[in-house]
Amino acid sequence: MSNSTLTLLGDKNTQYSYEYKPELLETFENTHQGNDYWVSLNADEFTSLCPITNQPDFATLVISYIPHVKMVESKSLKLYLFSFMNSGEFHEEVVNKIGKDLVKLMQPKYLEIIGLFYPRGNISIHPTFSYHNGKKKYKKLEKYRFMNRNLNPKRQG
Amino acid sequence: MRSIEVIAGTKVQYLSHELLFLALSGQPYRGTVAIAFESIGESFNLLDFKVYLTSLRSQTFTAENIAHEIYQKIQSHIKTKDLGIIIDLSSRGGIQQRLAFGADFALVKKETIFQVG
Repeated sequence: MSNSTLTLLGDKNTQYSYEYKPELLETFENTHQGNDYWVSLNADEFTSLCPITNQPDFATLVISYIPHVKMVESKSLKLYLFSFMNSGEFHEEVVNKIGKDLVKLMQPKYLEIIGLFYPRGNISIHPTFSYHNGKKKYKKLEKYRFMNRNLNPKRQG
Repeated sequence: MRSIEVIAGTKVQYLSHELLFLALSGQPYRGTVAIAFESIGESFNLLDFKVYLTSLRSQTFTAENIAHEIYQKIQSHIKTKDLGIIIDLSSRGGIQQRLAFGADFALVKKETIFQVG
């Protein structure tokens, strides 16, 4: 496995960006490409700004994917997610933007992101992004999960 | 922070899960802040307090000093009896920090505030 492209993991002089910076994302190679397996990354400290009021928003992001060749390196993901801190984005925009960036980065077999945003004005918004690579198995998986999402809603927050 | 009138003797607690400030490294720190005191006739305007909490997003602190920072801010704007601050920070390097300044109090728990169990 070659990790020669990783520059952030282990770096003692980490620089934090508070403005959207997708180029922070880095990958390493999946050494089990013959297996389908889930990778879930839970980010409880996500924050961004409302683009209209400039007030802070907070969320837990649940990122789940089935890797193909490339996998996202978690420190680079952490720094990338922090880079939304001063970016003005609607909740729906945030989740779709992160989803598209990760698809572009990794070309996974399947990927989904659920944004569990804290309530604002008594309403919490939970957008979901999903992607499949076009192969029958993952297309079927995406359709199943899309159609069965939130069939039994529960009170949140 | 503007003050508001509150009947003396009222026991007041505030809780926010949206504390955010920058560590010396520049890494954002997330946490919960709990505030408790007994009113001696006033409290602070909640909108002003929210604006103050939000302003911490761009300020740098040593994590251990954040409880004192908030304590001082409140003390400098309103008069209270037995003011106490408890801060729970999210884990860094596998270590969770709880910081308290001022009077001791029992922390209010609201189980449903976090959306993922």
